[in-house]
Amino acid sequence: MLEQILSMVFTTSFGYSIIRITSPILFAALAAVVAEKAGVTNIGLEGIMMISALFGVLFAYWTSYWWVGVIGAMVVGVILALIIGIFALKLKTDIILAGIAINLVGSGGTIFLLYLFTGLKGNTASLTTPSMLTPKLNIPILESIPVIGPIFSGHSILTYVAFLLVFLVWVLLYKTALGLQIRAVGENSHAADSVGVSVLKIQYIALGISGALSGLGGAYMSMYYSQSWNTGIVAGRGFIALAAQAMGQGEPLGSMFASLLFGFASALGNKMEGMQGFSSFLVAAVPYAVTIIGLVLYASTQVRRVKKSRFMEKGKKEAEKS
Amino acid sequence: MGNKRMMRFEILRGCAAIFIAIAVAFIFILICADDPLNALYCLLVRPVFNNGALNISSIYMILARMTPIIFTGLAVCVMFSANQFNLAGEGTVMAGGFVAGLVGIYVPLAAGLHPVVCILVGAAVGGALMLIPAWAKVKLNASEMVCSLMLNYVILYVVMHFLSNVFADRSQGSVQTYPYLETARVGKLIAGTELTWGFLVAIAATVLVAFFMFRTRWGYAIRMIGINESFSKYSGMKVGGIIVVSQVIGGVLSGMGGAIEVLGRYNAFLWKDLPGYGWTGITVAILAKNNPIAIPFAALFISYLNRGCELMSIYAGVPAEMIDIIQAVIFLFFAAEQFMAKTRQKMVVKEAKEELAKKTEPAAEGGNA
Repeated sequence: MLEQILSMVFTTSFGYSIIRITSPILFAALAAVVAEKAGVTNIGLEGIMMISALFGVLFAYWTSYWWVGVIGAMVVGVILALIIGIFALKLKTDIILAGIAINLVGSGGTIFLLYLFTGLKGNTASLTTPSMLTPKLNIPILESIPVIGPIFSGHSILTYVAFLLVFLVWVLLYKTALGLQIRAVGENSHAADSVGVSVLKIQYIALGISGALSGLGGAYMSMYYSQSWNTGIVAGRGFIALAAQAMGQGEPLGSMFASLLFGFASALGNKMEGMQGFSSFLVAAVPYAVTIIGLVLYASTQVRRVKKSRFMEKGKKEAEKS
Repeated sequence: MGNKRMMRFEILRGCAAIFIAIAVAFIFILICADDPLNALYCLLVRPVFNNGALNISSIYMILARMTPIIFTGLAVCVMFSANQFNLAGEGTVMAGGFVAGLVGIYVPLAAGLHPVVCILVGAAVGGALMLIPAWAKVKLNASEMVCSLMLNYVILYVVMHFLSNVFADRSQGSVQTYPYLETARVGKLIAGTELTWGFLVAIAATVLVAFFMFRTRWGYAIRMIGINESFSKYSGMKVGGIIVVSQVIGGVLSGMGGAIEVLGRYNAFLWKDLPGYGWTGITVAILAKNNPIAIPFAALFISYLNRGCELMSIYAGVPAEMIDIIQAVIFLFFAAEQFMAKTRQKMVVKEAKEELAKKTEPAAEGGNA
């Protein structure tokens, strides 16, 4: 049994599917990173992904250009995130509740919106044409390298964008003035306010960026991963992204590794599904269980670290006294 | 502002939120219904009146559908009162319902006792599962929100595994368990309707939870932690333990709700997805402003709207999922503290002026004498 699993894991197609599965979570995890850095928790990621996934397909269908769909999905994502912002920042709805409201629209409201715009019920499979899907990219030199080529080449163009964004988000947060302001607002909004940073403006911007990023995640789901939109398309990826953000200590790179961990668990599950003696349902539960375990393990290391540092401080003080 | 005025303002604001939601609904109806007036009639009137007469069967249905969301509403109410955004109501409803169903199928017991045991087992399962996010939060400071969200999916898939691979009744066309023993069913309150004794249990639970929250030390502690956790800690409360208790009570309530729903409404367990009662419970709790006494009224409102949307989809061709958009809009405005803040400001100013006038009047009279 174990041999069977190992022989599956050490294949290039397995590596390929990890990256494929990780991409949408990575988009949403980066969205969570940016929002959280500015001190706003965007739990509406799930709903934003659902809605922008739907509108991505619709825009692409109406114009028959995939890139219009992608941009449309981003714009819808930004609008939704700003709606959360208006309610949370201006009207003082608890931001978690505002996010849940968007998720409500995402889970059921999208079915209604789909009917409203197209008369279809439940999915858009009948709309899909090849020109609507985001193209796959074969990278010239990389492609021909054995092992590495088949794993890293031939993904959707959005996959490369996702991994590039890890770097770009890092640059944004740590190498630009805006990033400094975002971090300052998240760290201590009063302090930021006192030196003339407009806290609200920065939080709106951070939410907007997180909306755009999760919009990309939505577009990836409906315009590449599933090839069309359906009611179960996001399936908790927005929530998993929140977990990835927490596990990755709120940093872009750390969140990428956390997303990859989830991608790995998920890909392993998919592979094992075909094997005898494995329940497809239990396998489907694995990534979520891994997320809980990961979160708990991460949190327990944090607790230990705090205890240790307290212990050391105590020791120092005692040393000073004597 | 005086209490009475505050109350009046809250009611005014609630009505405004509902009005906005209905207006949004109306715009959508205008766009997608062939006969908008008929659709609106279906949404607002038809759940209770049809062709000039009371729509009795529909009214019973509204009451019956209130049962599970009263339970999840109460659960959210207790959990959110401690300022814990625990969203595992959804999963615990399903787990509680499933295990209660299994007890109803495989453990033969006396007629009166059977449903009681099933429901208690369901409640225990709900409470036990809630220990996971509660423990992770209190001991390790892991986000209860993320943890509970993940837990929902784990529960869903584990239940689906046992449902379809272990306990499935292969003679049925769809995935479901064997039928419950007749003794396990929650009895009908009124024969021929969906309304069961569970409804009365839900009302009793409301009274109990209200008593617990407002008249016991534990309830006070939970509310205190919700208002100011640091203060509670420094005043000597065992914050961690109390948070765990509040989450477990939430789990018990939602597990109970799931069990009653499963044994009252169906004759076998056949949920193949999370039932959605957990999320609706959040809406209900928000509408009730986390006040247990108001929960049944909020549940009635949501249940009424739900039935309206259902009728609208049958008779006017507007998809029933519109309920989610209406709910979201009401939800957002209800929870918005600053919504209509200017009106509140005006009311405060007006009252202050009146009070000033009252105070100065006797003084002026005294001056004249």
